[in-house]
Amino acid sequence: MFLKELTELSGVSGCEYEVRNYIKLKLNEIGCENYVDKLGNIIAHNKGKKNKTIMVAAHMDEVGLIVSHIDSNGFIKFQAVGGIDQRVLNSKVVEVGECKIPGVIGSKAIHLMSADEKGKALPIDKLYIDIGSNSKAETEKLVSIGDYVTFKSDYVEFGDNMIKAKALDDRAGCSAIIELLSMKLDVDFYAVFTVMEEVGLRGAYTAAYALEPDLGIVIEGTVCADMPEIEDHSNSTSINNGPAISIMDKSTVYDIDEVRRVAKVAENNNIPYQFRKSSSGGNDAGAIHKTKNGSKVVALAVPCRYIHSSVNVASKNDYNNLVTLVKMILLEENKEQ
Amino acid sequence: MIKNFLFEVCSNHYVSGYEHTNGNILKKYFQPYTDSFEEDNIGSYIFKSTGTNSTKIMLAAHSDEIGLMITSILDNGFLRFTSVGGINAASLVAQDIIIYGKESIFGVIGIKPPHLTPEEEREKPLKTKDLFIDTGLSKKELEKKVSIGDIAVIKRQPLALQNSIISSRQLDDKAGIAVMLVVAHELKKISHNSNIYYAATAQEETGCRGSATASYKINPDIGIVLDVGFGLTPDMPPETASLGKGPAVAIGGRFNPKLTKKFIEVCKQYNYEFQYEASPSSSGTDTESLQINREGIPCILLSIPLRYMHTSVETIDLKDIETTGKAIARFINEIDNSDLEEILCF
Amino acid sequence: MEFNSELMKKFSNCFSPSGRENNIRNLIKEEIKDYVDELTTDPLGNLIARKKGNGKKILFSAHMDQIGLIITHVDEKGFLRFSNVGGLHPKELLGLRMIFDNNLEGVICSEELKDKEKLTMSKLYLDVASTSVDFVKNNFQIGDMCVFKSEYYETEDCVICKAADDRIGCYILIEALKNHPATDNDIYYVFSVQEEVGCRGAKTAGYGINPDIAIALDVTATGDSPDGIKMDVKLGGGAAIKLMDKSLITHPQVKELLTNLSIENNIKYQYEVLEFGGTDSGAIHMTRTGVPSGVISIPTRNIHSSGEIFNKNDVLECIKLTISITKS
Repeated sequence: MFLKELTELSGVSGCEYEVRNYIKLKLNEIGCENYVDKLGNIIAHNKGKKNKTIMVAAHMDEVGLIVSHIDSNGFIKFQAVGGIDQRVLNSKVVEVGECKIPGVIGSKAIHLMSADEKGKALPIDKLYIDIGSNSKAETEKLVSIGDYVTFKSDYVEFGDNMIKAKALDDRAGCSAIIELLSMKLDVDFYAVFTVMEEVGLRGAYTAAYALEPDLGIVIEGTVCADMPEIEDHSNSTSINNGPAISIMDKSTVYDIDEVRRVAKVAENNNIPYQFRKSSSGGNDAGAIHKTKNGSKVVALAVPCRYIHSSVNVASKNDYNNLVTLVKMILLEENKEQ
Repeated sequence: MIKNFLFEVCSNHYVSGYEHTNGNILKKYFQPYTDSFEEDNIGSYIFKSTGTNSTKIMLAAHSDEIGLMITSILDNGFLRFTSVGGINAASLVAQDIIIYGKESIFGVIGIKPPHLTPEEEREKPLKTKDLFIDTGLSKKELEKKVSIGDIAVIKRQPLALQNSIISSRQLDDKAGIAVMLVVAHELKKISHNSNIYYAATAQEETGCRGSATASYKINPDIGIVLDVGFGLTPDMPPETASLGKGPAVAIGGRFNPKLTKKFIEVCKQYNYEFQYEASPSSSGTDTESLQINREGIPCILLSIPLRYMHTSVETIDLKDIETTGKAIARFINEIDNSDLEEILCF
Repeated sequence: MEFNSELMKKFSNCFSPSGRENNIRNLIKEEIKDYVDELTTDPLGNLIARKKGNGKKILFSAHMDQIGLIITHVDEKGFLRFSNVGGLHPKELLGLRMIFDNNLEGVICSEELKDKEKLTMSKLYLDVASTSVDFVKNNFQIGDMCVFKSEYYETEDCVICKAADDRIGCYILIEALKNHPATDNDIYYVFSVQEEVGCRGAKTAGYGINPDIAIALDVTATGDSPDGIKMDVKLGGGAAIKLMDKSLITHPQVKELLTNLSIENNIKYQYEVLEFGGTDSGAIHMTRTGVPSGVISIPTRNIHSSGEIFNKNDVLECIKLTISITKS
């Protein structure tokens, strides 16, 4: 499991180099052939017995912020990268740019707020990052427009086999794939660590174009809302119920035969699983299955609470079960004629 | 030359899907600087200037403009219409219109007089479906000349304002095409090793369509996309790029970081003014389709600051076009003299 | 040419929402297998029928899928929760009867709401009329889909049925295929999947076939109902030649071709400008270096309801126009 290392790296969509460099290093350690394509995806090849072209994908990028302006007093204005819920920004510690300049997203003191303002999420254009600089010139020495901003959020193991970190969506998938590659399974598949999933599945399009898979297996962190006062039918997934298998989302109607087959593999191997009970959202599968002549896709995910915030919560059991399930699916492909 | 070019193209129409109607003007200006011409199947024009190596650089600016399309012929010479691309209905009120039917027909878009419009209705945002083109013809006459699906535009002659500022319809993105012309002109002087493709892409305003097909056809090593960006006015946020201070260089996931950095270095080294623009997700420009074409095309996006976007009085500074064109020519020259693979390598 | 009510009725009643097109694909295969030179299914499930030739490569496309619902949750009391497959609004669903592939049925009900205006999909559920939770759990799974249940009905000139969008397009292609004229052109009749969720099948079929010209056959809205949409297309007005929608601006040469063919062959036609929606041609025309594309639309009222209405004579005109293109 590489979750601690991976989630502590910065990799806002379009700026995934820290994650890319780490994964490349790991792949070279494992001795897995790989290359980086024109958009920055890592494409690794696990050689083995081949029945069809399989592409296993997880995205390296995470949601975050980007510097859009430095004001006359040296405060930093920013925009969201990917779907950030603006309610999660208030009072956070962040790191700006390649040099990881520390900063805070402040908020007006409650004493100064009008009754209307209290309790309301401030819109992004009213928020700013304070790095403690005294002037525009001082900020400009440390920060440029276009610098990416990541949340500072430690990896913590807590509760009953739970973890809290930022970017579990989708470093959980990256970690799972590295584990799968290190197993040296005798089944041929391409492992793709994609870029820019959070801003429109950009990397998955070009990787799928290059690989022309027959089957795509997307490994994700997905929405989980098993919180108090949310009804069962609205919670999408639940923690500790096993990896979630997608049936449909905004990007894909998953091939039902493949979905049922994956569920069967889980049942045969006594791996818990659940269906993702929502048709919203989307992931790299949307790009993969529509490329060139098209392909079959499935998506499996670790349920993550508070996704798209700086505190994702997931269960190690779900993660481990996901790794086992994908392994079994791949071995099954090996058997097939 | 640039001003002449812009005044000439902007006096003709290039509504999305019908860019070819006045495509000859583009040919007239680009062919002296290029060796071959081809089209994709959607209506993009591709001019090629052959180089001495195998590198392919694609410049892209969209040739189409937003416009109107007739949807019904009504009694008393009125026409119902819809927009082609995103138009603010409020900017259509009280405008002169030309409808391109069997012949060019003049019309106006009027509005119900305020005396007859209740207060609350006057406050409401206007919609295209509430507006009509008045042609002054009888329905019988009109039906002979106009049919459903005919296109129309606001009648507007390009206008020179103070200094080097001009105002016209469709400077989005004829300004970008003008930049390509400056590049072609400059490269003729300093020569180039790479093969340069000047693509005037069709149907950007309706969904970046022509750039998808044109880039598939060209299959370039890198793409330089030229479009317009918001220019600073009193009602815009302070980070907006200003007119006359050079192109806004886009930074975000859609744009190759090292190629962008290289362009910025060139600007700094040769003293070309430029500005930054943070653009983290969809830029709504041709980079949308270019970047993910085939196995991917590393792109940069340069925007000419423009005020009053998608109206008939779009306003730009000609200086920005000169600066951008010259900077790109220099940038191409630098790429010719360095290892492109090295630049693009992650 | 008579309208083949039996065939259309069979098509309309065939269960095949987006992503689950097996039934209709088999039905169409059976119907056309004796008339084609080549019949293939691509990885996404598009059925591609070919009449070989050495001339122009022409692609016709009509989508096989229909809108429906997908089960997202089966609760402890035996009620089903769902999400929409394709463009459906919660307000239009209340009280409708739905049918599954296994012929079991249900009715759409709503939780008690103070404000009916605030109805959302998550407030609706499907009651499958059983007090046995075991029965429900054994027969319904997350991921199952259902579609409208409604009777096929026809008058002298019109038809009311579900899934006319776009089984009527499939019907037209099949009639054209059965009456395929002598021609040098290389014709691909594509029965596409997953149009209702974003023209996904057409995208991959267009890439695979790489045609010289593409024509989709699909339904379009009309402007002839009381205080309805403001557009000029009307039921009985003939084949509608689409000039623009949100996914496509018809290639000027295709517009000219369809118009001239209509005039030459005495086909009743009308022009269509649709201010919303899109069709398979939207996806196909942007593949590779681009494909000059257009759409022949069948004017249809109440699209995406359980009772879509079209005119049989319009269908006939569409068939004639389609056939005339194959030999153009």
